[in-house]
Amino acid sequence: MCNLPIRVICRANAEYMSPSGKVPFIHVGNQVVSELGPIVQFVKAKGHSLSDGLDEVQKAEMKAYMELVNNMLLTAELYLQWCDDVTVEEITHPRYGSPYPWPLNRILSYQKQWEVRRKMKAIGWAGKTLEQVLEDVDQCCQALSQRLGTQPYFFNKQPTELDALVFGHLFTILTTQLITDELSEKVKNYSNLTAFCRRIEQQYFEGHDKDSCTVSVQSSKKSSLLK
Amino acid sequence: PSPLQRSGGPGHSDCSPLPLPAGHLPALRTQDEGTISKPQQIITHLRKQKYNADYDLSATQSADTLAFVSLLEEKLLPVLIHTFWVDAKNYVEHTRKWYAETIPFPLNFFLPNAMHKRHLERLQLMWGDDYMEDEEKLEKELYREARECLTLLSQRLGSQKFFFGDSPASLDALVFSRLAPLLKAKLPNGKLQQHLKSLQNLCNYCTSILSLYFPWDRGDPLTGAPRAAGTDGSEAEEDPHKRRKQLLSVLVGLAAMLGYAFLSGIVSIQRGSVGPAGRQPVTLEEEEEEEEE
Repeated sequence: MCNLPIRVICRANAEYMSPSGKVPFIHVGNQVVSELGPIVQFVKAKGHSLSDGLDEVQKAEMKAYMELVNNMLLTAELYLQWCDDVTVEEITHPRYGSPYPWPLNRILSYQKQWEVRRKMKAIGWAGKTLEQVLEDVDQCCQALSQRLGTQPYFFNKQPTELDALVFGHLFTILTTQLITDELSEKVKNYSNLTAFCRRIEQQYFEGHDKDSCTVSVQSSKKSSLLK
Repeated sequence: PSPLQRSGGPGHSDCSPLPLPAGHLPALRTQDEGTISKPQQIITHLRKQKYNADYDLSATQSADTLAFVSLLEEKLLPVLIHTFWVDAKNYVEHTRKWYAETIPFPLNFFLPNAMHKRHLERLQLMWGDDYMEDEEKLEKELYREARECLTLLSQRLGSQKFFFGDSPASLDALVFSRLAPLLKAKLPNGKLQQHLKSLQNLCNYCTSILSLYFPWDRGDPLTGAPRAAGTDGSEAEEDPHKRRKQLLSVLVGLAAMLGYAFLSGIVSIQRGSVGPAGRQPVTLEEEEEEEEE
C-alpha cells in the first residue's frame, strides 16, 4: 500500500529469525524489525505513512480497531489452530512439522502447542468453547462491518494500516482450508467485508509479477499467519 | 459498582472481598445466581435484568465501544497491573498494604500475596521473559504504549462529558474503573500516574463521575476505600505486617526456648516435675504479647 518494493520469502525458521520471536518481520539492509507496530513505525521513520491524513480522533479510533483485530481475530485464529483438537491433529501438526524430519516435527509442534495453550490460559481463552470463540469472531466482524459501512476503506478514501491489518486477517480466514468452514462463514455473513477484501486483492495483488514492486507491506503477514 | 450506578441499578459498594470465587474481584452478589465474578458476565446479568447502559448507542458507537475496550485491555490493563502489583516499590508500599488493611483476618496474610503471584504469572505469560527481566525495555516500550493509550483516550474524549455524548455508556464505566485507581492512589512510583494527571480532560472526567455516582466517597475516596477498616479507627493505622513480624518473632523465640528446654533436660515431660527455669521466660513472653495486642 505504500508502494515500497518488497520480496516475500517463506522460511521454516522464520519465528526463530525474528528478534521478538513473532512473525511477520522485515529485513531491510542490516536491520530486522518484527511485528506490525514496529514495522509501521520503522517505515514511518523513513518517510512513508498511510495515516498522516487522519486527525487525532481518527488516529485514536484506528489504533483501537487494530487492537480489536489483534485481540479477537488473531486470538481466535490461534485458538482454532492450536486449541481445537480436531484441527490440531489433522491440519496444524502436519503443517507446522512439515519442514522437519521425525521426531523433530512432533516435538516442535507439541512445544508450540503447549506454549500457545499457556498463553490462552493466561488471557482467559482456554475455558472457551469453539462456539464462544466463533461468537466472538462474529462480534468482531460485526463491529468492523459497521465501522466500514459503505465506504471503500475504513477511513474513507485512502487505505490505512487498519485496512492492511484487517485485509491480512480476513483474507487468510477466507482462503485457508480448515476442517469446517464455520470461521470463514462468519466473515462471509458480512458482504461489505468480503467486497473489501476482494477490492484490496484486486488493487494490490493481482496483475503483478511475483517479484515486482507494488506489493503491500502486509503481504508478508499473509503468508506467515499460517504458522 | 459503576455499571450498576450507571444504569440506575440497585447496588452498594461492598469493600470486603469475601466471599470470593477463588479470590477474584470484581464480584457481584446476586439473589438468584450466587456470586458472579467476570466483568462480562456481570454486564450480561444486568442486561437480563433490563439494566442496559448501551441501549441508546448507534451501531457505529457500539462497534467503537468494542474497539476501545480491546485497546484498554491490551495496552493499558497489563501495564496497570504491573504498576500496582509487580513494580516492587508500589506493591510493597501501597498495594499490599491497601489490600491487607481491608481484607479481614486471617486472609489478609496471604490473599494479597496470592493475587500478586497470579498477576505476575499472567504478565510473564503475556509478555514473555524478555520484558520481565529487562526493566528498561519494559519501561521504554510497554509504558510508552500505555501512555499513548491514555493520550488516545484523551483525544477521543475531547471536551465531551462522556465518550458518547451526554449520557454514560459501558465504555465510560470501563474507562473510569481503570483510570480512577490510577488517578487517586498514592503511588510511590508514579510515572504512568503523572502522565494521566497531565491529561486534564481525563482527570476532570474521573472527578465528575466520582462526584456524580460515588457521592459518599468525598475527598480522597480510594485511600479511604477500605470503609470497613475506617470504622475501626486507629487500628487501621497499624501496619499489620509489623504485627505479623512481631508475632512471628515471638513464636520463633518460644519454639527455640522450649526446644532448648526439652533438649537440655531443664524441662521434662513427666508430670509433677516442674522445670521453672525453662518455663519462666516463656510466660513472660506471653504476657508481653498480650500487652501489645
